[in-house]
Amino acid sequence: MIEVQNLTKEFNGKTVLDCISFEVKEGEIFGYLGPNGAGKTTTMRIILGLLKPKSGNALVFGEDLGSNDNLRRRVGILLENDGLYEGLSAYENLDYYSQLYGISDRGEKIKNLLDFVGLSDRKDDKVGTFSMGMKRKLGLARAIIHDPEVLFLDEPSSGLDPEAQRMVRDLILQLSKEKRTIFLNSHDLDEVQKICSKIAILHGGTIKAYDKVENLRNKFSKPIFEITLIDTADVRIALDLLHSLDYVSNCEEDGLRITVTLKEEKSSTILNVLVNNGIKVEEAKRLAKSLEDVYLDIVKHSGGER
Amino acid sequence: MSMYKIFTVARKEMKGIVKTKSQMLVGISFAVYLSVMTAPVVKTVEESALVDQFNNLIFYFVLVVGIFVAYLFSGKVFFNEKREGIIETVLCTPLSLRQIWSGKVVGVTIPAYLIALLTAALITIIANIFSTTMLLPSPAIFLHIFLVVPAFIAAAVGLLGFGHFLLGMRESQILNISIFFVIFLALVFTKNVISGGYAVSWVEVGVLLIVAVLLLAPISYLTRYLSKERIVTTIP
Repeated sequence: MIEVQNLTKEFNGKTVLDCISFEVKEGEIFGYLGPNGAGKTTTMRIILGLLKPKSGNALVFGEDLGSNDNLRRRVGILLENDGLYEGLSAYENLDYYSQLYGISDRGEKIKNLLDFVGLSDRKDDKVGTFSMGMKRKLGLARAIIHDPEVLFLDEPSSGLDPEAQRMVRDLILQLSKEKRTIFLNSHDLDEVQKICSKIAILHGGTIKAYDKVENLRNKFSKPIFEITLIDTADVRIALDLLHSLDYVSNCEEDGLRITVTLKEEKSSTILNVLVNNGIKVEEAKRLAKSLEDVYLDIVKHSGGER
Repeated sequence: MSMYKIFTVARKEMKGIVKTKSQMLVGISFAVYLSVMTAPVVKTVEESALVDQFNNLIFYFVLVVGIFVAYLFSGKVFFNEKREGIIETVLCTPLSLRQIWSGKVVGVTIPAYLIALLTAALITIIANIFSTTMLLPSPAIFLHIFLVVPAFIAAAVGLLGFGHFLLGMRESQILNISIFFVIFLALVFTKNVISGGYAVSWVEVGVLLIVAVLLLAPISYLTRYLSKERIVTTIP
């Protein structure tokens, strides 16, 4: 549905995107992650046809959005600016955009959307009087007024308080259940982790990682185990044993709990070594690495930004 | 369908202008002020030069007011929309850049022209109050009011819109100041118009009409050089 192939973009001779490629399939919620200035918004602008790449292609439904006005009817967008006119009411804003998209049964559609985002009681109020959270919700309603198949969201919860962030996130989750393809630009790892099925991490103008969230966690994280012992006397022996194993990179002790970082996947071997040496283990569990850890690892290992 | 899109944008811009009371008030006040300050001059003019003087007033001030109000409204419609970043969302709708630009030009031209017409009406009413004979614009001035003035306003709005879309914020502000300076100079010449001594004829009106058409054609052509990239990369 969205294909980005060898995309390169320069501004004043400086490369901001360097031959990036990825694909978003129908119905996927794709998270496009990266620090500020990594090139996320530039990528989105190229896909939307607002910027021209130096080389490469960005296609939606197999075509360039910039050169096909009608194709843009199938795409909804919520950029960092909500695209709302502060001097117009919530209803008038939605009415204007629905006319631009050529929607005939506007009244009913607008009413339903205002209900959906919980702004029915403020429909006649000027948007200039709205809070940031309310504007964001109305921006979302505006983005889906024409029932798009693909939705591009640029930092949808940026600058919002936690309650508003949650409301916006819930709305996006609701939209995802309607089988829309969603392209989410974000640096909010928590948001991406909760919403997205697949992600790409952009750093310094190149894609550093691109896969399903679970696969990335497994791929980029070293196995870490937390072993809880029963007897205090066993802690020292267990630590000596673990340190003697060449596939153990680090051991940290905290009372009866030992956190072991492995160089490779050998969780069952570790447990066998401990049990065979008479150490009583109460519990052993693998610690899941969060997306934040994966992200920070990738960003750290890929060095500074351009 | 193409015209429907243009008029959708135009309607929204007109509505926005009319609802911005402060801006409307400035525009109407300017029209009223110039009419009240200039039209009474007919009482000091000799009977033989009365009609010419009256026509000169309308010829000059209707155009100046129209262009000033167009300048005032264009700032809100083009400059503010770009400054606030809303234009980026509008560029992602199924409208082409030329349709957006055209819609805005129509949306600004109509209310600006209505205020110019108000100026013509006010000058006529006030001049007749101070005149012993009935004063009505000549056929040449009618052509000027109904053809030249709207064409000039549309050209001014088109050029301003083109400039605001093309330029960065600082350059746009310089453009605004420069245009304000030109309008200020035009008002300085008011004295010459009021003092009279000549009569506007079909020739002047015809020349102005040609100038307006010559302005409109290249401005419309220039929009081909506008690109979404240029607009997006000059948003602050």
